[in-house]
Amino acid sequence: MSERIIRGRVDRAGALISADTPLLRLQQRAGSGLEKPLALPHLARLVALAQRLHRDISRPLYAADDHSDIHALVRIVPDADGASLEISDWRTRPVTLPQVPAIADGAAVPQSWTWECDPQLRLVALRAGSDAPAIPDGWEGRSLSELFELQPDEDGRFPVLRGLARQSRFESQRVHAAGMAMNLSGEAQFDATGRFTGFRGLAAVAEGEAIVEPKAAGTLVDPAFGSLPLSDPQFGRRIDGALRGPLSRIIATAETISGQFDGPIRADYARYAGDIAHAGRHLLGLVDDLADLQNIERPGFKAARDEIDLGDLARRAVGLLGMKAEEKGIRIDAPRTDDRAPATGEFRRVLQVLLNLLGNAIRYSPESSQIWIRVDREDDRAMVTVADQGQGIDADQQAVVFEKFERLGRTDSGGSGLGLYIARRLARAMDGDLTVDSAPGQGARFTLSLPARDVA
Amino acid sequence: MNESVSPPGIDTPSPTLSARLRELAGYLAAPAAGRLTEEQRALSLGIARRLVIDVAARLDPGIDPGSLWEDWLRGGLPCATRLAGICFARAEEHRWREQSALRTSPPPILSEPDLSNGEAPAVGAPLSDVDRAYLALQIADRRRFDALGNPALALADVDREIFRALLLDIAAWRLSELSGDKRRAAGLGEAVRIATERQAAETGMTEAGQAYCEILGTALPDAAATAIARHNWPTLIALAASAHRRTYDDMAMALLTAESATLPSLLSPLRLDHAAIAPLEASLAMLPARAVADAGHMEFSASGATPR
Repeated sequence: MSERIIRGRVDRAGALISADTPLLRLQQRAGSGLEKPLALPHLARLVALAQRLHRDISRPLYAADDHSDIHALVRIVPDADGASLEISDWRTRPVTLPQVPAIADGAAVPQSWTWECDPQLRLVALRAGSDAPAIPDGWEGRSLSELFELQPDEDGRFPVLRGLARQSRFESQRVHAAGMAMNLSGEAQFDATGRFTGFRGLAAVAEGEAIVEPKAAGTLVDPAFGSLPLSDPQFGRRIDGALRGPLSRIIATAETISGQFDGPIRADYARYAGDIAHAGRHLLGLVDDLADLQNIERPGFKAARDEIDLGDLARRAVGLLGMKAEEKGIRIDAPRTDDRAPATGEFRRVLQVLLNLLGNAIRYSPESSQIWIRVDREDDRAMVTVADQGQGIDADQQAVVFEKFERLGRTDSGGSGLGLYIARRLARAMDGDLTVDSAPGQGARFTLSLPARDVA
Repeated sequence: MNESVSPPGIDTPSPTLSARLRELAGYLAAPAAGRLTEEQRALSLGIARRLVIDVAARLDPGIDPGSLWEDWLRGGLPCATRLAGICFARAEEHRWREQSALRTSPPPILSEPDLSNGEAPAVGAPLSDVDRAYLALQIADRRRFDALGNPALALADVDREIFRALLLDIAAWRLSELSGDKRRAAGLGEAVRIATERQAAETGMTEAGQAYCEILGTALPDAAATAIARHNWPTLIALAASAHRRTYDDMAMALLTAESATLPSLLSPLRLDHAAIAPLEASLAMLPARAVADAGHMEFSASGATPR
């Protein structure tokens, strides 16, 4: 029961032109909406009656949506332009009384985990079904996206984030957790005041997914990180989650100040804010690289085997970084649209490698120079080469350029020194390779090779 | 008739004449008294089963829980009196929460533009001490469900004496199973000791509620009023339990079986006004087949359970 008055307005043609949320929601659930005919038959009849009588009427109102009967009291005040609605004593009663197990319509299976999180996506419950893999330790209060590494869907979207934005159910959120690919689904939860209280749902191991036993934390001693706790994947993920949010906020705020979107400020202050945003983006890039590093060095990491065309991917990379090149007056000679190099590899990973190669080429090429991208095939290898007119890399440097954190003596804020290391690891995970051919003063040629694919 | 009293999903053996006559004698002794509903019976039995299985797993992972439960279903639970109070309190709390969840108004449908102007949840925002304590309370609460969302008792919340008695009952059952394996039988005593110590070190709803209550300080009345308005009953029970220095289960039972007139005095430490208590009173009044406390229930409470 609620003392709150829910208001609405209907025009002369019987269309609902304004409504408080519960009424609007009911109208939407009935398949209609604002500026559309009132789709609640009982209420529509009462409105018509009030208009015919030219006087206020108060009547009990009965309506229903797909899971509740709604009983309320409605007062309808007709006027020359339509009628105003005031609904009070809004009560809902479920159509059927569900049985006690209330997780995801009883879809929980013994092989799945059930989980629950608060509105900030912090986990408050994680339980394993009788035949489900063991749940990881230390999940309590952790962010959902920390525990479940979210993967975008085919359209590059994250169903859980869409569900969060709309405070509605979501499904088919692909995630990686504890060395497994899983599918996450969740129902939005609300309290008695209609306030969103989080999600409750299932995490089911994806079909055909072999369970990879995560290596014990103690055995993951990384030569670059040494005994730092960063070599512990749990710690790495926590750092990733903890840094990404604040950094994104710093960047967004600095860009707002630097762009003077909230009003003019002194030019030097705007420049400082621009510097902060730039540094923030650099740090965020480093976090991305570290997250990638953690992912590809995870035991059992495997790239997908998509059917790709290196020519198409190279053109996409140019499309994404073309503006950056233009800013330096660099011309990119991209493969022509009929230049094709069918290959096998993971689409987004190959694009990631190409963006890294092209990004480096733009960063280290002199202004008004040229970059070439060529695709080719040699025996069973499909290849794409990115060549620039930069200062080049000598033989000694070529030997270490793919090492972790190797920046060839550069100290600017251009990169983390992880990009080429990650790119080569990715290439090799796709049964390919990444090589460099260069000489001082003659630019550099990076070649990504992948298994070629024969097209009939 | 058999179907009408058998909890769903349990294949009970044919009734014996003596059991039927005992049941009828009990009925004739108080024909006007309300009986447990099927829902109350099924919920309480399910909670007892999950508790027995959890305790058995902690005592000895080698115990076949299905076999243990089958035996106890046939012969009766040896610790029935002790379990009645805690299982009933948990079952009633669950019914209450389910009722509130079902009566909740449907949530609004939001589109992204609505949210961008409104209260978008601040994902990743740092936690305040109050938020952290509330999160811990939520986590402790969600431990009181099994993987399918069925109500259960977290072992940390079970009264120590009841827990120990249940351990000993299960150990006795296990001992009869292990008659030919003296080495494993001998290990049971040690397992009871270890399980008892581990349980004593665990914290549950009572402790999480205390921590939350302490950190709220002067904001306690507001937090309690908000909990009532949102029908957030576990939080209300936890705050009331802390304010009264009682255990969560004890407070849940007191609140769930309170006469409406006694609610203001029961919640007086929370310094709530009458208007704030009204939704609580209405919600309890709507709970069908709600039992009202009397003096005779003390023998089933944790502190009043008869030692074996």
